[in-house]
Amino acid sequence: MILHPCLFKKYTEEVISSKVFILKGVEQVEFFIANTVSGLAYAMLLFLMAAGLSIIFGLMKIMNLAHGSFFILAGYVAYSFSRSGMNFWLSMVLAVIVISIFALIIEKLLISRVHGSETDQVLLTVGLVFVLGDLALWIWGGNFLSIPVPALFDYSLDFVGMTFPAYRLFVIAMGILFAFVLWYFEAKTRVGMIVRAGVDDMEMVSALGFNVKIIFSGVFIFGAALAAFGGVLSGPILGMYPMMEWEILVNSMIVVIIGGLGSWKGAFIASMIVGFVDIFGRIYMPTFAMAFIFILMVAILMVKPTGLFGRVES
Amino acid sequence: MKKALLSTILLLMTVLILPHIISPFMVYLSTEILVFAIFAMSLGLIMGFGGMPSLGHCAQFGLGAYTVAILSEYTANIYLLLGAAILISLCFSLVTGYIAIRNKGVFFLMITLAFTQVLFLITSRMKFWGGNDGYSASVTANFGFGEITSNIGLFYMMGFFFVLTYFLLKLFVNAPAGKVLKGMMENEGRMIALGYNPKTYKMFAYLIAGSMAGLAGGLYIYKTQFVSPALFSVHMGAEVMIMVFIGGMGTIFGPALGAGAFVFLQNYISTMTDRWPLILGLLFIAIVLLKRGGILHLIQFVSTFGLKLFKSSRNAPVDKQVKGKEQAS
Repeated sequence: MILHPCLFKKYTEEVISSKVFILKGVEQVEFFIANTVSGLAYAMLLFLMAAGLSIIFGLMKIMNLAHGSFFILAGYVAYSFSRSGMNFWLSMVLAVIVISIFALIIEKLLISRVHGSETDQVLLTVGLVFVLGDLALWIWGGNFLSIPVPALFDYSLDFVGMTFPAYRLFVIAMGILFAFVLWYFEAKTRVGMIVRAGVDDMEMVSALGFNVKIIFSGVFIFGAALAAFGGVLSGPILGMYPMMEWEILVNSMIVVIIGGLGSWKGAFIASMIVGFVDIFGRIYMPTFAMAFIFILMVAILMVKPTGLFGRVES
Repeated sequence: MKKALLSTILLLMTVLILPHIISPFMVYLSTEILVFAIFAMSLGLIMGFGGMPSLGHCAQFGLGAYTVAILSEYTANIYLLLGAAILISLCFSLVTGYIAIRNKGVFFLMITLAFTQVLFLITSRMKFWGGNDGYSASVTANFGFGEITSNIGLFYMMGFFFVLTYFLLKLFVNAPAGKVLKGMMENEGRMIALGYNPKTYKMFAYLIAGSMAGLAGGLYIYKTQFVSPALFSVHMGAEVMIMVFIGGMGTIFGPALGAGAFVFLQNYISTMTDRWPLILGLLFIAIVLLKRGGILHLIQFVSTFGLKLFKSSRNAPVDKQVKGKEQAS
């Protein structure tokens, strides 16, 4: 059996300094705050992924393992656009549109055929991850790529003697903005109401005369677009590298498990937890960083098997 | 029981004769196929009979492999090493099973996958055991009657374990416990109403599958002499899953056939192109879209169809006579 080379790169090495343990007093606080910003930025990217994953499962009962591929493909597409001379914002918009159209095709051609059968869904989406991952490797190569930070945010903010990269603050702001927009959409709008009802009982929604197919496609594309948006945003921070889709997928799956399926509020809170534990775990105990998140997940599942804010029975 | 014994003896005969009629390279390849057959059969048990799809079944396999590789520094006793591999993966299954089995379907899958990813990350960061580069161990099998070094010897060793696990699985599936397990998958509510506790039976199957995968992992080292975190990667888990599907889910021997087809195909295609993951992914998608079951289902279909054809051809003259009479009258 040919064993696949492990291509994992540790993306937070920039924040891991060998001097962590000799920092004293004020330095310690500064270090803590700087990493809080990193952790929050990572949490927001996870949230954008997990929100889509969670709502697609909650509504369509489809486990889309290819969600991470949307995330990374968007990064790659935006990278190509920005390399061809477009500015960051235009390439972001184009990448999100490309991935949304792509998601629509996939939903219509493939996903719509596997409703109801879990093993089929898993096989199909895993197959998609392999195909898309290998195509990305073919087109963009196996090197670590990253999108240049947009000129608008390419500076650091100085605040009481500490420096913050403006782009990370922007990512955090976007994450919070989207959390708010999603909350508004879910709680206050008519479409949000239909989606909420669909999570609870899809058959009843369809019996009331709503077109299930359109709702499904809409939600799938919306989820993919959220992931694509996160993917482009993560381009300047995390970059793109082969097998990254699995890493981001597993982390956002843990977010969904902790937060509860079908709940955006849960996804938001859980992604903060996972983001922080991940960043600080990597600094203080790099070998067991994942294990921390994991112990947390197990503890939460023990107490509440549906996750913190789960609406859907697992 | 009688049927299980008969098929096992048939399988044993095949394993005994096979290396003498195929080419040396095929013997070498078949050794690997047999290891993966054990691994795939263990996943086939929980997927096809327990309804527990797991992308993280390679955790137990990898743990078995790592256990043998690491402990081989201290002892060369194969009974101890394989025993330890089984024990460690059994303990791991006990812990993960306790948490994962409370959930069904996709949730089960996510939790087992997450556990496997943790092992992946831990092993790839553990500089002590080679980290990302893997850990090579020199182990030779010795069951107390000389060291096994030749390819045919290794083939027979894997073959023995393969037949043994096949027989045990067959016994389990045909036993009442196995029937209850399958009933759980088909209609859990009814089985609960009949007074069975689903968790106990699922856990039991999960433990059997876990320890079998551990054994397969332990055996794998005797062939490759090398472990790396790639054993815990999602690719590995997905590959085993596809073996089960190619071979035929819901059967015991199917996954073994699937392992054979898969390893053979992989070796063949890898010599021609580097785009193996692409082809593998397309294979996944094709299998789902065709919805035709696996190789064993095909064989069963052909054999029953052939039997029908055979019977109808014997009855044909009678039909013709009847029809002829009807037409005449």
